[in-house]
Amino acid sequence: MSKMHVIALVGNPNVGKTTLFNALTGARQTVGNWPGVTVEHKSGYFYHEHQKLELIDLPGIYSLSASSPDEQVSRDFIINQKPDLIINIVDASNLERNLYLTTQLMEMRVPMMIVFSMTDIAEQNEVEIDYQHLVSHLGFDAIPLQLNKKHDLEHLIGKIQENLHREVPIVEIKYDEIVEKELAAIEQHLINAGESIISGSRWTALKLIEEDAQVQKQISPQCLEEVSIHVRNVSKHRRQPGPAVIADDRYGFIRGLVKDVVKRKRRSPYTFSDRVDQLVLNKVLGMPIFFLVMYLVFLVAVRFSQPFVDLIDTGFSWLFVEQFGLLLQNLNLPSWLSFILTEGLGGGITTIGTFIPPIFFIYVSLSILEDSGYMARAAFLSDKFMRKIGLPGKAFIPLLVGFGCTVPAIMATRTLESKRDRVFASLLAPFMSCGAKLPVYTFLGMMFFAQRADLLIFGLYLGGVVMALLTGLLLRKTIFRTDPGNFVMELPPYHVPTLNAILLHTWHRLKDFVLRAGKTILIVIVFINILQLIYVPSPFRNEEGKPQKETVLQIGGKALTPLLHPMGIEKENWQASVALISGLFAKEAIVGSLQSLYQAEGSEEKLEKTIGERFGSLSAILAYLFFVMLYSPCAAALAMLWKEHGAGWMIFSFGYLTVLAWAVATLIYQLSHWSSESLLWIGVILALGLGFYQLLRIIGKKDRNVIKA
Amino acid sequence: MLSRRNQVRLRNFGRRMRGGRRVCRVCPGDCVSLSELPTGAKGRVLCNNDTKTIERGLYENSLVEVYRNEEGEPNLIVAVGDSRYVLDRRIASLIRVKTL
Repeated sequence: MSKMHVIALVGNPNVGKTTLFNALTGARQTVGNWPGVTVEHKSGYFYHEHQKLELIDLPGIYSLSASSPDEQVSRDFIINQKPDLIINIVDASNLERNLYLTTQLMEMRVPMMIVFSMTDIAEQNEVEIDYQHLVSHLGFDAIPLQLNKKHDLEHLIGKIQENLHREVPIVEIKYDEIVEKELAAIEQHLINAGESIISGSRWTALKLIEEDAQVQKQISPQCLEEVSIHVRNVSKHRRQPGPAVIADDRYGFIRGLVKDVVKRKRRSPYTFSDRVDQLVLNKVLGMPIFFLVMYLVFLVAVRFSQPFVDLIDTGFSWLFVEQFGLLLQNLNLPSWLSFILTEGLGGGITTIGTFIPPIFFIYVSLSILEDSGYMARAAFLSDKFMRKIGLPGKAFIPLLVGFGCTVPAIMATRTLESKRDRVFASLLAPFMSCGAKLPVYTFLGMMFFAQRADLLIFGLYLGGVVMALLTGLLLRKTIFRTDPGNFVMELPPYHVPTLNAILLHTWHRLKDFVLRAGKTILIVIVFINILQLIYVPSPFRNEEGKPQKETVLQIGGKALTPLLHPMGIEKENWQASVALISGLFAKEAIVGSLQSLYQAEGSEEKLEKTIGERFGSLSAILAYLFFVMLYSPCAAALAMLWKEHGAGWMIFSFGYLTVLAWAVATLIYQLSHWSSESLLWIGVILALGLGFYQLLRIIGKKDRNVIKA
Repeated sequence: MLSRRNQVRLRNFGRRMRGGRRVCRVCPGDCVSLSELPTGAKGRVLCNNDTKTIERGLYENSLVEVYRNEEGEPNLIVAVGDSRYVLDRRIASLIRVKTL
């Protein structure tokens, strides 16, 4: 049996590699108009004349310098795996920049064919390319294709077959005379020293002038010392570092080539995207448009998902809790097992189900932004104010997602390049009031602040943002003292997003959430559900002074109440503490808990009166609302934090947010309800704040090398 | 009499009060850093030692047009050939250009 051929797709980001991969293999990989969609290589198979061929989709790269992890992945694959053929996808609408990678591949002397993509956009921009002429210069086979249209796949596969058995043409890029002389000298040194040579002695010599760390590692120190003399000569001659000399000369070759084969008919250098950007990135209109777009994302995520959340909640509860419970009852299972399966597992599935609509709508919105090319513009616009709190502009998106749900917000931090930025953004995401907190705000706001409920709810949302800004400044001064990474980001041309791409994108992310995060979340939810529903003898006696049985959470709530005394929760108001514990399970559970616990003491009509009486004052209710806004994220979000950044950051987030919520709520209550105790509690909060700041500074000094940009 | 250092401090304070640093006008033929080119200005790269940006097309003698450069913003938008980039000001300040 003949060996299976391996074919790799290589090209700049956003040129259509994944589209071609999907077309050839029938796979459903995510594509996007956003650099960094493919961060690790993916493989698939296709058949031609009963022969199985393996196709590898490599991350989009600008060069083979291996300065970033995705470039490293691509280069390592090409060098170590030695694919039988490389399909270099070149964006015809941006020929000069794309040919830089082509020249590097040519120098590596790897079997290659070229596919020109985006030929329609090149035509739109009135750029005429003489492909035959270009191919005659490059020496490699090439075909122009429109990847977003139905194209002749058989023709492409035929070309692939031809090129699999073709000899690699030798095309040399001529450098400056002195550089060529030094290159020849380095080559001679390498041969004389018997060094292991990768992809030919010329390529190795070039990489040594480029100061490539990977290649330098494979050369003996003695030889490297001799080579360094020649590298210094090159730098001295051109008054530039070696890597810059080589890159400049490659562009010299490309510029000559492009001048020869490209004709620009259009007089104006401005494209359609440039004209849109004049409006979208306008000094005056840019920010209002940005806020409008972000508001629409927020509106879609919160408003559109609400009916579906209710539907899933009702439907899943009926199916997985009620009907499943009846079935288990008929099977005569032990009541404790039936209880865990229905209330724990069934309830857990229902909770995960309710996360799906906001995540779906958020991802649909984000996919449209990504596929259209607006996301890169949004990152640029938000960069200015995000940097003030020590985050790059891209971090704005995860924080915005946080208004829908904290779980996908933490997931969305994966788009950030550095670990520091990802952790930092994840810690700030819970400050954005998620959709689940809104019912709590509405419930208590409408009940006790009916006249100004809108103002109160807006204040709570704004309060969250202000606290996020303050926390950002605090963390920037203490544990995240490095600057956010400096970035060079391409603004891709605007595309009309296709329905297929949007749905595919959303489906991949949703599947990822349900399969990966869902599993962890389910375990946590089942555990908390069990705690919430298992009755044990209580150390607290009932109102008649008799011993009673209570759930673990009820006992926890009663034990917790004294701690909440400074923020206005009195001993008799233990229901408020229990509701906060159930809020750890899911924030929307707070409303349910408050209703069921207070209603147990009277009729529904008396609910408002009972809650009012137990809280005692409006300032206590206001403090409680601020506590709900700020305290620990729900179990699902904590599980996500654990999964993404480890247990340490999860504990930090839980502890910091809960203490901060307590401090803010106490401050609100004590200032609006001044008593002899007030000064003491304000002093405690100040001391706590000062101590915490010092602790963070110490941690920051200790972990400076761990959390770096 | 104010010391030289305090004179500079006072002048900078006055500038801040007037609303921002005074930026020198860039004339054609001037050799400045890319970060100093105002919005709409075009330049030719004279010296760039940053490989990452060279690889993206900001090589010696390449034409660059600044699409947006607002004082106080950490980045600027530049057009090089058919590409548009958001460039960190810290990187742009290291690229020398001749204004056209």
